[in-house]
Amino acid sequence: MTGQELAQEAREPNGERSPIKWLVAASLFEAVTLALLVCVAVPLKHAAGFEIATKIMGPVHGLAFLIYLWTVFNTVSDGSWKASAIARLVLSAFVPFAGFLTPRFIRHQRGALGRR
Amino acid sequence: MTFYEFLPWLTGLHVAAVLVFAGGLVGETIILAALPQNQSLSQEQQNLAAFVHRLDRRLTAPALLLVWILGITLAVTMGWFSETWLQVKLVFVLILSALHGMQSGLLRRLANGSGQVRGQALRLTIILAAFVLVAILAVVKPF
Repeated sequence: MTGQELAQEAREPNGERSPIKWLVAASLFEAVTLALLVCVAVPLKHAAGFEIATKIMGPVHGLAFLIYLWTVFNTVSDGSWKASAIARLVLSAFVPFAGFLTPRFIRHQRGALGRR
Repeated sequence: MTFYEFLPWLTGLHVAAVLVFAGGLVGETIILAALPQNQSLSQEQQNLAAFVHRLDRRLTAPALLLVWILGITLAVTMGWFSETWLQVKLVFVLILSALHGMQSGLLRRLANGSGQVRGQALRLTIILAAFVLVAILAVVKPF
């Protein structure tokens, strides 16, 4: 399924954005903040002594992580997702750059589950 | 006014957001428990679910977001992230957040005419116990 097709189907019958769309957005937000924390803020702290970098990016990533986890549970609570797929979604939040692959995984899962 | 003079305001707003979130989460849990389990809802019950879902989106979910933002700001400012009481409290916060996420998803499906209410009996006990432990950990800071 292409991104355009996903966007077209990204609304619920009542006009709300679909949970899948929110999950994709939250996974990308989480992935970007984790990458910035690991690749920019932490090196700046240790190499250049800019502790403020991690003091800002740490909480921002923490918030992104919480939003992502909330969105995962909000989406998978319909009971149609396998435990292994849920574990993959949760674990991807802990591995730098793994979150960038999550949107493709979500689309693949969505295709496997049938359009919801 | 310095940032540290502003801290009591942050704490007050955090507690206020927790109260709104707790009221919303407990309220919607009780309403879900009162709905018929493991069967489709009548049109009237579906309308009730839609109303609770709107309330959740406009009040409870934003309150949870505010709880997270203010809580993280307080913990960073006070240097609490290394303290055990906060780490234990965070586990219960994650449980409450996950339960709210699941419940919010269920309300959305019920409001759209799909989904069934299941396993609500134990949920209220878990939520109340988690809120009690969070309050004790935050106020007493036992370890």
